[in-house]
Amino acid sequence: MHYPFWDQPIGYGVLMATIAVFHVFVSHFAIGGGLYLVVNEHLARRSGDAQRLGFLEKLSKFFALVTLVAGAVTGVGIWFVIGLLAPSATEALIHNYVWGWAIEWTFFVVEIAAAMLYFYGWKRMTARAHLTLGWIYFVAAWLSLVIINGILTFMLTPGRWLVTGNFWDGFFNLTYWPSLVLRTGVCVMLAGLYSLLVASRLEPGDFKAKTVRLAAIWSIAGLVVTMLSQLWYWKAIPAAVTAKALQSMPTPIWFIGISFWLAGAIALGMVVLVAFAPRKLGTSVALVFMALGLAWFGAFEWSRESLRKPYIITGYIYGNGAEVTETENYKRDGYLAQISFRTGDDGADLFRHACRNCHTLAGYKALKPAFDGTDRAFISAIVQGTQHIKGNMPPFLGTAAEAEKLAGYLRERIDPRPLADIYKLEGMALGRKVYDLRCGKCHVLGTASDKSKSLAGQSTEDLNGLLDMAANLGEGMPAFTAEASERKVLVAYLQTLGKGGRP
Amino acid sequence: MTLPDYHFLSAPLWLVTVLHLLTLTLHLFAMNILFGGVAITLWSSARNRWGGTQAVDYSRLFPAATAATVTLGVAPLLFLQLVYPRQVYAAAIVSGWFWLLVIAAVIVAYYAFYRASFSGQRSGRVNLAMLALGLAGLIYVSLVYSSVFSMAEQPALIQSLYAKNQSGWVWNPAVGSYALRWLHMLLGALTVGGFFVGMMGQDNPKVFSSGKVAFAGGMGLAAVAGLAYLVSLMPYFEAIVRSPAVHALAAAIVLSLASLHFYFRKRFWISGSALFLSVFGMVSVRHVVRMLRLRESFDPASWRIATQWSPFLLFLVCFVLMLAVLAWMLWLFFGPKKEAV
Ligand code: HEC
Ligand code: HEC
Repeated sequence: MHYPFWDQPIGYGVLMATIAVFHVFVSHFAIGGGLYLVVNEHLARRSGDAQRLGFLEKLSKFFALVTLVAGAVTGVGIWFVIGLLAPSATEALIHNYVWGWAIEWTFFVVEIAAAMLYFYGWKRMTARAHLTLGWIYFVAAWLSLVIINGILTFMLTPGRWLVTGNFWDGFFNLTYWPSLVLRTGVCVMLAGLYSLLVASRLEPGDFKAKTVRLAAIWSIAGLVVTMLSQLWYWKAIPAAVTAKALQSMPTPIWFIGISFWLAGAIALGMVVLVAFAPRKLGTSVALVFMALGLAWFGAFEWSRESLRKPYIITGYIYGNGAEVTETENYKRDGYLAQISFRTGDDGADLFRHACRNCHTLAGYKALKPAFDGTDRAFISAIVQGTQHIKGNMPPFLGTAAEAEKLAGYLRERIDPRPLADIYKLEGMALGRKVYDLRCGKCHVLGTASDKSKSLAGQSTEDLNGLLDMAANLGEGMPAFTAEASERKVLVAYLQTLGKGGRP
Repeated sequence: MTLPDYHFLSAPLWLVTVLHLLTLTLHLFAMNILFGGVAITLWSSARNRWGGTQAVDYSRLFPAATAATVTLGVAPLLFLQLVYPRQVYAAAIVSGWFWLLVIAAVIVAYYAFYRASFSGQRSGRVNLAMLALGLAGLIYVSLVYSSVFSMAEQPALIQSLYAKNQSGWVWNPAVGSYALRWLHMLLGALTVGGFFVGMMGQDNPKVFSSGKVAFAGGMGLAAVAGLAYLVSLMPYFEAIVRSPAVHALAAAIVLSLASLHFYFRKRFWISGSALFLSVFGMVSVRHVVRMLRLRESFDPASWRIATQWSPFLLFLVCFVLMLAVLAWMLWLFFGPKKEAV
C-alpha cells in the first residue's frame, strides 16, 4: 500500500509465472547438472574413457551458457519482478532475511566463478584440480538452494515466526526439510532429463546406449526421491491450510494429484526405455520426457503458489499487498488512507490495490465477464464478500463506502445491458446464466458451498420469498437485485437443481 | 495476536552502509572494466588500430567480466533495497517496463559477448557486430539506472509522474537532473576500461597507447562532467562542500591522479589499487548526495534497529570462506599446469 501500482495489461500472475518458471527450471538444472558433470567426470577419468570426457566437455559448454547466463540473470530477474509486483512483501522478506540473501550471495559468487573456471579448465588443468573445481561448483550451488529454500518455504508456512519474529524460526519452518529433499530430487531428475536430451543426439551405438542408460537412472532416482518427499511435504503443511484449499480450490488440488501420477508415469517410461531401447532413443522422445518432467515440476510449483492463497506470506501479507497487522487501520481509516500513491481516481486506486494483483478487467482472470449484466448493488456486495467466493481471495478490507466506490468504478466498465441481450439467451439457459453470475460465484455446485439441497422442492413462491430476503440468509450473502425477467428464469432454474443435476 | 513488525534493520546502519558502499564499488569496478573494455576494443578494432589478435583475445574476457558485473551487482542492490525500499521500488514501479527490460538487455549482451568470444580467430564483422550489440545492451542498462535511481531521489517527482501515468512506461523526464551524472559514469567507465586495456596490452605499444588515451582522456572528461554535475545540484552543492563528503571527493581526485602517474610508469598494481580506492571515494560522495537530496523526505537513521547477529555472523564466515575459495580456485586454475601430453 506504500507503493505505486504497476498497471500493466498482462496480469501479474502471468508475468510472474513466465519468469519464475523459466528460472526455476534452469536453476534446479544448474545444481543437478553440476553434480552430473563431476560424478561422471570421475567415472570417466577412472576408466580412462576419452569419449565420455569429450562428451562431458561439450555438455559443460551448454551447461555454462544456460546456467551462467539464463540461470543467473533470470535469478536477478525474479528480484526485479517481485519488487515490481509485490513490493511490500518483498520489503518484508528483505528486512527479515537480508542476511539469508547475503549468505546465498556468497555461494552464488563461488558458484559462478567455479562454473566459468570449470568450463575453461578442461584443457589446461590437471585432472585432480579440475575435479576439485567441479565439486566446489556443485557444493556452492546446492548450498544456495539450502538458503533460498528457507525463504521460499517461509512464505508458505512461516509457523512460529508469526509469534516470535525470529530469523531461524521462520527459516527452519514446517516445510523446510521436505522441500529441501524434494528440490534436491528435482535437481537430480532435471540433470538426468537434460543429459538424456543431449545423449539423444549422439550417433547410435554402444556409447549412446551407455549414456542414455545413465541419464535414465539419474532421472528415475530423482523422481523417486521427489515422489516420496512430495507426500512428506503435503503432510507437513498445517491441516487448516490444506483443508481450506481442498474446499475452495479444487483445481490446484487436482493438479497435485495429477502431478504425482505424472511423475510415476515418467519414471515408468524411463524404465521401459532403459530396458528396451537405449540405443535408439531419438531426440523427439527425449523432448517428450523433458516436456513431461517440466510439466510435472511446473504443476508442483503452481500448486504450491496456489496453496498460499489468499496470502503471499501466509497469515502476514495478503496477495494484494494488504497487511494483516493493518486490518484494523484499514477498517477504521479506510483503505484509501493507507494508499500512499494516489492518482485522483479513487475507484481505480481501490481496484488496483484490492483486486488488480490477481485480476484484470478483460484479460487474465477477467472481472468484466463476471459482472457484465449485473448492477452496482450486486457488485458492491461481491466486493465485500470476496472471501466467500471460490478461489480463496483476501477479504476486502476497506469501508462500505469504499466498496461502493469500487463497485461504481467497475460498473462503469462493464456491459450494462440485460443478460438476455448480452448473451442472446432465454428460458432455462438464461436462468442458468443468472445463477452462474449471481449465485454460482459462491455456491459452487457439487462442493461444500452447494445449496441445491436446501433449495430442493421449494415452490415458486417459496423461492421468490427466499430471493426477497436473500441478504438475510447469511453474512456475506448479497441481496437479490436483478430485474424481474431474470428473477423469473432463475427461479425456474433453481427448481430444477434439487431434482438432481443441472440442465 | 501481535504479528512481527518488519520495519527494521537487522544490523546497525553504519554496518549496512559500509557493506553497501563496498560491494557497490566492486560492482562498479567490474562494470567499468567491462563497459570501458568493450567500448575501447570495439573502437580500436573497428578502425583496425591494433592489428593482430588482440581484440579477439580481449573478447574472450568479456563473458567473465559480465558474470562478475552481474554477480557483484546483486549484493549492493540488496542493501540498497534494504535501506531505501520506499524510494527505489517506487521509482522502479513507475518505470516498470523499462526496469524489467534491463534483464532482457543483460541477457542479450551476455550472449553477444559469448558469441564474440567463441568466434575465435575468424573475428571480423560478426565479432564487431556482437560487441556492438553487447555494448548497446549495456548502454540501455546505464540509461535506465540513471533515470530510475535519479527519480528515486525525488519522491515528489515520483508522486506526480505516477498520478499521470500508471502503465510503467514512464521515463524520468527531469533529464537535466541526471544527464551529467550519467555522462560522468560513462566517462568514468571509459577511464577504468582504459586502465584495463593498457594493463593487458602493456607489451604492445599500439594497444598501450589506446589504453592510455582512454585512461587519461576519460579521466579528464569525467572530472569535468562530475564537477559540472555537482555544481548543477546547486542548493545541495553548498551542503556537499560543507559535509565530510568533500574530503572523500578530494581524496578520490588525488588518488585518480596518483593512479595516472603510476600507470604511465607501468606500475599497474599500485595504479589499479589507487584507481579502485578512488572509485570507492566517488561512491561515498554519491551516497552523501543521495542522502542530501532525500533530506526533506527520508532519513535512513530513522530505521529501528533490531539486530540479527547469528545470521550476520554466519554471513561473515561465509564471506571470508568465499574469498578463500575464490583464491583457491584461481590458484587451481592458474597454478599447476597440466603436463604436456
Ligand atoms: C490474491 C488474489 C486475488 C485477489 C486480491 C482478488 N481475487 Fe478475485 N479471485 C481470485 C481467484 C484465484 C479467483 C478464482 C478464479 C477462477 O476460478 O478462475 C477469483 C475469483 C473472483 C471472482 C469470480 C469470478 C468468476 O468467474 O465468477 C470475482 C467476481 C472476483 N474474484 C472478484 C474480485 C474482486 C472484486 C477483488 C477485489 C476486491 C478480488 N477479486 C481480489 C483471486 C483474487
Ligand atoms: C458473495 C457470495 C454469495 C453469493 C453471490 C450468494 N450467496 Fe448464498 N450464501 C452466502 C453465504 C456466505 C451464506 C451463509 C453461509 C452458508 O450458509 O453457507 C449463504 C447462504 C445461502 C442460503 C442459505 C442456506 C441455508 O442452508 O440456510 C441459500 C439458500 C443461498 N445462500 C442461496 C443463494 C442464491 C440462490 C444465490 C443467488 C441468487 C446466492 N445464494 C448468492 C454467500 C453467497
